[in-house]
Amino acid sequence: MELWNAIILNPVLNGLIALSSILSNNFGLAIIALTIIVRLIILPLTLKQLNSTKAMQGMQPKIQELQKKYGKNQQKLQQEMMKVYKEAGVNPLGCLWPMVVQFPVWIALYQSIMRALATTPESLLDLSQHLYSWQAVSQAFPLSSHFLWLNLGGQGDLILAIIVGATMWVQQKMTTAPSPDPRQQSMNSMMQLMMPLMFGMFVLMFPGGLGLFWAASNVIGIVIQYFIGGGWGYLRSRSSAPTTPAVASKRASQKGS
Amino acid sequence: MKKVKILFLVVFSLFALILTSCVPGGGTQPAQGWAGTVFHDGTLYVGSTDGRVVAVNPLTQNIEWSYAIAASSSSSGIMSCGQTSVPTAIYGTSAVDGDLVYIGTYDGKVLSLSTSARSQDLPFPQKRSGEWKWICSGGIVGSSVVDGDAVYITSSNGRVYSLDKEFGDLNWESDILDEKLWTTLVIRGDTIYVSTFDGHIYTLSTETGKKLPWTFKSDVGFISSPMLYDNSIFVGSFDNKLYVIKVGDDEPKWEFSGGRWFWAAPVVEDGVVYAGCLDGKVYAIDADSGRELWEFDAGGPIVASPILVDDSLVVAAESGNVYVINSKTGIGERIKNPEGDNKPSIGAPVRATLCAHEGTVYIHAQDNCLYTLDIGEERISWRLPLAIKQES
Repeated sequence: MELWNAIILNPVLNGLIALSSILSNNFGLAIIALTIIVRLIILPLTLKQLNSTKAMQGMQPKIQELQKKYGKNQQKLQQEMMKVYKEAGVNPLGCLWPMVVQFPVWIALYQSIMRALATTPESLLDLSQHLYSWQAVSQAFPLSSHFLWLNLGGQGDLILAIIVGATMWVQQKMTTAPSPDPRQQSMNSMMQLMMPLMFGMFVLMFPGGLGLFWAASNVIGIVIQYFIGGGWGYLRSRSSAPTTPAVASKRASQKGS
Repeated sequence: MKKVKILFLVVFSLFALILTSCVPGGGTQPAQGWAGTVFHDGTLYVGSTDGRVVAVNPLTQNIEWSYAIAASSSSSGIMSCGQTSVPTAIYGTSAVDGDLVYIGTYDGKVLSLSTSARSQDLPFPQKRSGEWKWICSGGIVGSSVVDGDAVYITSSNGRVYSLDKEFGDLNWESDILDEKLWTTLVIRGDTIYVSTFDGHIYTLSTETGKKLPWTFKSDVGFISSPMLYDNSIFVGSFDNKLYVIKVGDDEPKWEFSGGRWFWAAPVVEDGVVYAGCLDGKVYAIDADSGRELWEFDAGGPIVASPILVDDSLVVAAESGNVYVINSKTGIGERIKNPEGDNKPSIGAPVRATLCAHEGTVYIHAQDNCLYTLDIGEERISWRLPLAIKQES
């Protein structure tokens, strides 16, 4: 716990409070600014993820060929697909790292927001033990928990939940390549729906400040994806998932009957 | 791809678990309260951490009566760590006037309790005995103050309230002075002095609650309650300083830097300020010049205001260590724990305001026990648990 506080929590907490002081004691703006900083720090990982996604997109014809060849032998198909990924230097797990790296920051931010806003006298008392003796930090107090219509220390804002859910859906839709495997595609579609719903639910449960961080992070992700990833990506393709011959013939027979 | 899914689910579940679990220090700290003790007419009154007002007879070391303030429902739901209700947190020290005890709670109740009605365990409120309850839209952290015919309180909604002492009717409410008011107000004559987190010291009329012409504005917020002495206000701020402001002036008379916040209101006596700081030190400062006379290291943050008993300054650190310091020399001794020298004087944190009477200091610790310190013998003479055991 001490190590966590010293290495992650205290720097995030003091950085957030100092940012608030710099930004006219606006805690909401401080959260957005911190989000931008975090996203800039993990930008190399994000770029790696985008390149990985692009590479996987370029490999689609090869994957389709494998589908045709090993359609009936799923085990062999998986093996061959992994071989192709390996040859192309693509790690299917690579797309998760930016999210994994952000987890400690999310947790630290959650703790920082709750600590900084000090909703109970105990929290305010505890806060003093985590503060650096920076002038910018001491001048930031008291922190206002209000930003736009939001109570950053309070729970459950429906509008923010919708914004977080919608922006997360857009971001996922832009980056998730359609899968040639119908089962995989169905799983992807489910995840694309489940994740925004879950995060929307989290926003309703957690302090508004954390929801603001998620919303800002999603919007920044969309902007990065748009400018570096080349436009709206898969968001504009309606149903571009390539189908296996078996599925295609099944669909054709269904149409005919 | 199976590995991807599994890894994703594991990481996501872990994140959700950490974020939603009741990890100590994971988020906000629950309101537990730290009500101080007051001695009146041979009885001690204290708000316990399990939401009761308790009357203790210090001679017999027994609880005379206790009244449980109705527990408020917690904001339950799926994130509540299984808690469905929590005791009412009490932070302020009760005000006692005659037969009546006035207390404010963190869930926004102000109560007038009759000691005779409570000792008979009659249903609350016994209006004939002067009991009443008043509900405020904001939680109450500061102590209640009785002056003349009114009870005055500060509220987490940023207002100051004046209530009729006899019936609990609202006399007036002030304008919103800050986002929240957690400090205790001070009354001198017809004037109320309130310090705010946003760096103001307001003066209000006790009659109307309207702001009086003099207001002090600082660039930094004030964390402690104000202490008024010799027409000067002593108050701790968020920039780790203790400020002294002469009433009517626009600039501080002097300021004194500590290592952390001066959370507790200082004590001033015979031209010397005794201020406990969260940096673990007690500072004795010349009230006129701001010059440091001595400092004493208590080894842990000092949350409760020190208390003077003759020439002895009693200081309780949050760690549970209690010191008796010579107020002239700054030389002090730690009160030993009978269970072992290496243990803190009291086996629980101390945050509540101390109370002294005839050479005995009463300390309400966070283990919900009342401790008594005999200054002459420099030892903890007895310990009384305030929690009432539930009968099955």
